[in-house]
Amino acid sequence: MFYGKATDQATQERGECGGAVTAILTAALEQNLVDGALVIKRSESIYDGFPFFATTKEEIAEASGSLHCAPTLSAKVIKNYLDGARDTRIAVTCKPCDARAIVEMGKRNQINMDNIYMVGVNCAGTMPPVPAREMIRKFYEIDPDDVVKEEIAKGKLIIQTKDGEHKEVSIDTLEKEGYGRRKNCQRCEFNIPRMADIACGNWGVIGPDAGQATFIEVFTDKGQKLLDTATSSGALTLTDAPPEGIALREKLDGIMVKMAHKFMDAQFAKYDGDDKFEKMFADLDRCILCRNCIINCPICYCEECFTKKDYVMAQGTLPPEPMFHLTRLMHIGPSCVDCGQCEDGCPAEIPIAMITHMVQTDLQKATGYVPGRSLEDPIPLSEWEEVQE
Amino acid sequence: MSQAEAAQSSEQEWEPRILTFCCNWCSYAGADSAGTSRMQYPTNMRIIRIMCSGRLNPMFIVKGFLSGADMVMMLGCHFGDCHYLKGNFACNARMTLLKPYLQAIGINPERLYWNQISASEAIKFKETMENIVKKGKELGPIANELGVHAQGAGAQTSKKTAKAVAEDSFS
Repeated sequence: MFYGKATDQATQERGECGGAVTAILTAALEQNLVDGALVIKRSESIYDGFPFFATTKEEIAEASGSLHCAPTLSAKVIKNYLDGARDTRIAVTCKPCDARAIVEMGKRNQINMDNIYMVGVNCAGTMPPVPAREMIRKFYEIDPDDVVKEEIAKGKLIIQTKDGEHKEVSIDTLEKEGYGRRKNCQRCEFNIPRMADIACGNWGVIGPDAGQATFIEVFTDKGQKLLDTATSSGALTLTDAPPEGIALREKLDGIMVKMAHKFMDAQFAKYDGDDKFEKMFADLDRCILCRNCIINCPICYCEECFTKKDYVMAQGTLPPEPMFHLTRLMHIGPSCVDCGQCEDGCPAEIPIAMITHMVQTDLQKATGYVPGRSLEDPIPLSEWEEVQE
Repeated sequence: MSQAEAAQSSEQEWEPRILTFCCNWCSYAGADSAGTSRMQYPTNMRIIRIMCSGRLNPMFIVKGFLSGADMVMMLGCHFGDCHYLKGNFACNARMTLLKPYLQAIGINPERLYWNQISASEAIKFKETMENIVKKGKELGPIANELGVHAQGAGAQTSKKTAKAVAEDSFS
């Protein structure tokens, strides 16, 4: 576990917390470790970002800095637009849900894991773009377009305006009013992407480096290779992290996990009771069968969809027969990584991510399978031959 | 589940409807042998013959519940007896995941029953049926759990197709 910092002054300033991630990606590209880097690039405002495959040093530099309002998922981008990394070596910056989705798709042979370098970034939650603008207007009382930078630190959302003014509001306050992080981020137990090759973040950076360096933890040989490439080319300087810093990081992680469990209990309580099925379908019957949830889901990958068969459900009825939702829940339920893409894409605003996550937590209790935790865990039912009551 | 049956069941005491999937090689032959031995067993079940218990897509069971079955039963060969060598292991593994799944979506997992009956076990077949009917009566109609989505006797609403809705709104 290290503190990392870019050696280049410009990278340090452009990037977040010393620009270590930008330095690692640039070095990997320049030393020909990867063919390109899949990064999230800022769009017109800080409320939007899009996935971008950077193949030059300048392009990576353009995408440096963090965004908290970009509702994207890199996993499906790799499969749909980069040919599942069959012949391209890709370094990808990933939030924990991106990393888990990539691992799940790797297990299903949709992404070639040999060519993927996962540069994980810690994530305490993302925000939906439109409500975020409303929130800035309501709680910070400034024009959302004046905001040039936002960051989440110490349980507060801190924004910086054009004039260099800093304003902060605690996330608890925002979430009590129904704003703040996305619902699935509130429930998320994975804040440090331990399934990625390396995890970078600002948690646990103390002393004079606070805010100026990135905490880097290495998990795999590939991660070590990334760091070695960056240090040997002189793009990154590393110092060992002090034990107090490591302890602080663990403590912060523990707090976030506890909060996530509280949110889970509170949100899942909506459907508790003997009439769970009816309560769930009171929401699900708003469905207009646009199939956005299927298109966006990183776990859904069949070429021929089961729900398009006549013998499964009547075609052309609205709302769709319950078999539509029940099939989705059965097929992706055990592996749902709770990325929230289905809910973001739903025009009927059905809390699908919550329902799927609820089913996933129930199945996890029965099977013990934690989706996306590691490439070695077998998917439920994939090793059924050994089971004999 | 014909209308005649539905009308009959509303007049008399409520009887559970039990959808039974039988494997061609063991359980279906078991049912056959119970029949040829002239054993009396409840008539609540509707048997669907499938070639192997491993053929059963778990969603067929869910579809069964949604189509008005109060209990769904899966009968297959004993371990090691499978005509296709490993089909019943696959079925068994699916059941271990399907039960918590049914619980998670709000259907009582006890409505699903999985057992192994060989071709010669006519008595076991009869006893199983009797127990299952008793169990079905305890659990009550599936419409209690599914609400408006229940089909058959407990269903209140009929769903329209998108075309019918469009025709209604233009007429």
